[in-house]
Amino acid sequence: MVIDFSPFFGAQSPLERVFEAIWSPTLPISQRPYAYPPLNISEDQDRILVHCEIPGMDISEIDLSLTDSSLVIKGERQPAKGKYYRQERPTGAFQRVVNIQSPIDRDKVSAKMKDGLLEIVIPKSDGAKPKKISIDIA
Amino acid sequence: MSDIRKTEEKGFPRVKPATDIVEAEDGFYIYMDMPGVSKEALVIDLNEDEIKVSGRSAYPAPDGEKLIHVEFGNGEYYRGFTLSHIVDKSRIKATLKNGVLELHLPKAEKAQPRKIDIQMG
Repeated sequence: MVIDFSPFFGAQSPLERVFEAIWSPTLPISQRPYAYPPLNISEDQDRILVHCEIPGMDISEIDLSLTDSSLVIKGERQPAKGKYYRQERPTGAFQRVVNIQSPIDRDKVSAKMKDGLLEIVIPKSDGAKPKKISIDIA
Repeated sequence: MSDIRKTEEKGFPRVKPATDIVEAEDGFYIYMDMPGVSKEALVIDLNEDEIKVSGRSAYPAPDGEKLIHVEFGNGEYYRGFTLSHIVDKSRIKATLKNGVLELHLPKAEKAQPRKIDIQMG
């Protein structure tokens, strides 16, 4: 038997306990008050970057698709076989949709995964990049 | 260690990784979600009956990009467990794959179920 003692998390204030109850990772994905998996979106002039934390999955198990105006990340996390004493890691099907408002180069979208962190690079098409217009002063 | 490094370390929030503890036929398994933690950034300490796991997630720093939406950040995962005598400490195995740490804790020989022959009188 293994006992979780987590010494740095033992003394909790009542407020922290309330937060832990709300954000508890033991809730099934469908009942969670926030979306899973968490993602970060950043952009610069040339591309949009989407980072997503999906530990325990191989890139081949993740279904990525591009629609006209959005990126869809889909997958399913399977539970381990055996008798559970503690289950905090979310299992089940998940889906996240990222709306993309600027024109993108659909053929050049790439994705890679490292240490459970998914990175999707979406290059912007030339039309989306800001153009410099030279003004001749008479 | 420079001062900058120290400040950076202070800024890392300590996170309790989501953990599963499962008993299978060949022992116990502990699974911990530690996305972004590489093998080099992972430390597992076994001291007598205590096992402590820590690791720092390395989220790639935005390089001139503007963050538009943020749901996670860098963190220092930390969690400790107390092992009972049922676990054979000399045969503990750790595997880190796709951001999940798997600890296999085999049961000690004594703890294996033993069949008892019943003799009819």
